[in-house]
Amino acid sequence: MALWGMVIDLDRCTGCQACVMACKAENNVPAVGAGEAVRGRIISWMQVLTEEEEGHPGEIKRFMPRPCLHCDDPPCTKVCPVYATYRNPEGIVTQIYARCIGCRFCMAACPYNAKYFNWRRYQKEAPGQNPDVSVRPKGVVEKCTFCHHRLQKARDRARVEGRELAPGEYITACAEACPARAIVFGDLSDPGSDVARLARSPRAFRLQEELGTKPKVIYLTEGEGHGRA
Amino acid sequence: MAAREPGGRDAALFAPIELTGRGFYGVVAILFLFILWGGVAYWVQFEEGLGVTGLHQPVSWGFYVTNFVFFIGISHAGTLISAILRLSKAEWRRPVTRMAEVITVMVLFIGAGQILVDLGRPDRMMNIIRYGRYQSPLLWDATSISAYLTASIVYLYLPMIPDIAILRDRLQKRKLFYTVLALGWTGSERQQRVLNRAIAVMAILVIPIAVSVHSVVSFVFSMTLQPMWHSTIFGPYFVVGAIFSGIAALIVAMIIFRKAYGLQGYLKPIHFRYLGQLLLIMSLLWFYFTFAEYLTGYYGGTPEEMKVFWAKFTGPFWPFFWGMALTNFVIPILCLVRLGRHTIAKVLTASLSVLVGMWLERFIIVVPTLSNPRLPFGEGIYWPTWVEWGELAGSFALFALFYLLFTKFFPVISIWEIREGREVGLKEVEERLLTYLPDGSEAELAETGRRW
Amino acid sequence: MSREHSVPDRMARAIQWGLAGAAVLFIGGIVTWISHLIRTAWRLKDVPSASIGISLVAVPVFLTLLGVILYVFWGLLGDRSE
Repeated sequence: MALWGMVIDLDRCTGCQACVMACKAENNVPAVGAGEAVRGRIISWMQVLTEEEEGHPGEIKRFMPRPCLHCDDPPCTKVCPVYATYRNPEGIVTQIYARCIGCRFCMAACPYNAKYFNWRRYQKEAPGQNPDVSVRPKGVVEKCTFCHHRLQKARDRARVEGRELAPGEYITACAEACPARAIVFGDLSDPGSDVARLARSPRAFRLQEELGTKPKVIYLTEGEGHGRA
Repeated sequence: MAAREPGGRDAALFAPIELTGRGFYGVVAILFLFILWGGVAYWVQFEEGLGVTGLHQPVSWGFYVTNFVFFIGISHAGTLISAILRLSKAEWRRPVTRMAEVITVMVLFIGAGQILVDLGRPDRMMNIIRYGRYQSPLLWDATSISAYLTASIVYLYLPMIPDIAILRDRLQKRKLFYTVLALGWTGSERQQRVLNRAIAVMAILVIPIAVSVHSVVSFVFSMTLQPMWHSTIFGPYFVVGAIFSGIAALIVAMIIFRKAYGLQGYLKPIHFRYLGQLLLIMSLLWFYFTFAEYLTGYYGGTPEEMKVFWAKFTGPFWPFFWGMALTNFVIPILCLVRLGRHTIAKVLTASLSVLVGMWLERFIIVVPTLSNPRLPFGEGIYWPTWVEWGELAGSFALFALFYLLFTKFFPVISIWEIREGREVGLKEVEERLLTYLPDGSEAELAETGRRW
Repeated sequence: MSREHSVPDRMARAIQWGLAGAAVLFIGGIVTWISHLIRTAWRLKDVPSASIGISLVAVPVFLTLLGVILYVFWGLLGDRSE
């Protein structure tokens, strides 16, 4: 069985936010409006975090795109009281919007703050939305799904054409949109895949690895220019 | 009946049930105003979503979770204190236990209700029953709190049966109500044996259940990996805090009803002195736990922990943190060290201070951790809106209303236990005391001493 | 007191036994609920050990509570030697 994962090369990331916008369009992520944004309620499944480089304040900014890391041992699914978030057999951590009671325990438990809450009813179904992704009601938690609907579509197509799912057929919207090709998506269990090859790179690291959450989004550190090998 | 024996012994204990004055309706009206505020706030929140609160990303838990921990903590007053006093045969417990047990039952409803207020989808509450999963500490809470609620209702009810029988025989009104609840109590030997045995079992059973309740409440935080939550001492730390705030709530309730119902003859300064000493011990114990918890975090000094640590000590949460240190430790210690004079005023000051302090303590545990995420997000500051204040005010008012209504139906001090204290307690204590002392005459004892 | 039961007396007794029945239903409901959660966890292979472990403590506690309640009802209501 496939194990879907992602490699993000921080050396290539320019912080252009194309992944963020592609994600919002693909997944019907609501625009919450200025008032709600000021209150800190922006929903952004993919978020580009910025940090001042230590030792070079005001000179060098570092970018880190952060989707849901789809941990293999996710702290969020453990604490869900109603099985509204769980890790599926292919390693994708999913949300069941119709099941969620909105207790926000998963948000409190996620060390990466990858979960977002619908504080109000931010949108209704309307033309122009992606019909493959359901619109979330108020009061439930949502987050990056690795564009799971794309996997379902690709698999359906392969089944109709009577063949196996080919590598590269299923890819997330952010990976597709990245102009610097910093985001590589694929099957980590296939040792020949790009994503598995990059994950073995000596530059590879995982966010907050010491927590033992085993994220399947793997970062490649910045190059020599930033003082790291 | 009351007219036939004017005054009568313990008349003060029956008075609130027999007569209802204007003061009662006045208080109820004020409480209703606060409850209305809470009700309107909840209705708005139900319609609009949790967006009407001050919660946001990353501070997704705020007042409601703080209230949940706080109110469930108060509930430990009750039953735990009363059970320990009963088991240790502390004779001064007699006028105290009932009030403590009532606090527990009433406040548990309020505490459990906070979770429902906090849910984004209260309409899907039943999902917890249908699809609940025991890996989540929230389900541990649900189980433990329902066990505690059941146990504390039973533990409140059992020692009330003889009192209900007294009311059944004395009052003309609510005849059926008291008859049913008195369970045919006649005070026969067999009935007394059954009741005493059941109370003893409940007093023992309720202690581990109470400890489990606040342990699993703390596990909601400590089972996550978050800085300053993921701590092994959270279980006992929360239990100590719970008992601490519980005693304070008990003292406040006792002083209010003492004044309102004229119970000065029953609740004497000595009771407040003993409870004040208990509060003092808990304050020291609480300080010890707090010290241990923060020193461990500080000494280890991992960057994530330190971010939260400094947010509490010098950052945006410093007024709450140092306010907590002042109200939970400095003020109670100053008030309670010497209780010789002005006992009640001092104990009341300390208790009110501890109630504020323990609420701040719960707040300072819940919010700063959330507002300082591990990844570079920038600190999230949390300001509650009128909705959260409304729920807080409404919750306190609802608790007070429940308590007040209880006192209109049942005696707030256990009548039969007071009578028992007068009739058999005195003799029993004397006999018990004799069994503590060495046997034999003084000469014999002196003889034994010389041989050694 | 009269030996034969008057109407309100019979009614009180009926309500009292009704209360005991309600206690059985309530605690029975909780125990059923806990076993339902074990079954769900088992079917979904969703950490059934947690459910079983917790129920090993919780169910006996609830049953003990029920035992005390029924003991009191039986002990007090069954006493007719007035």
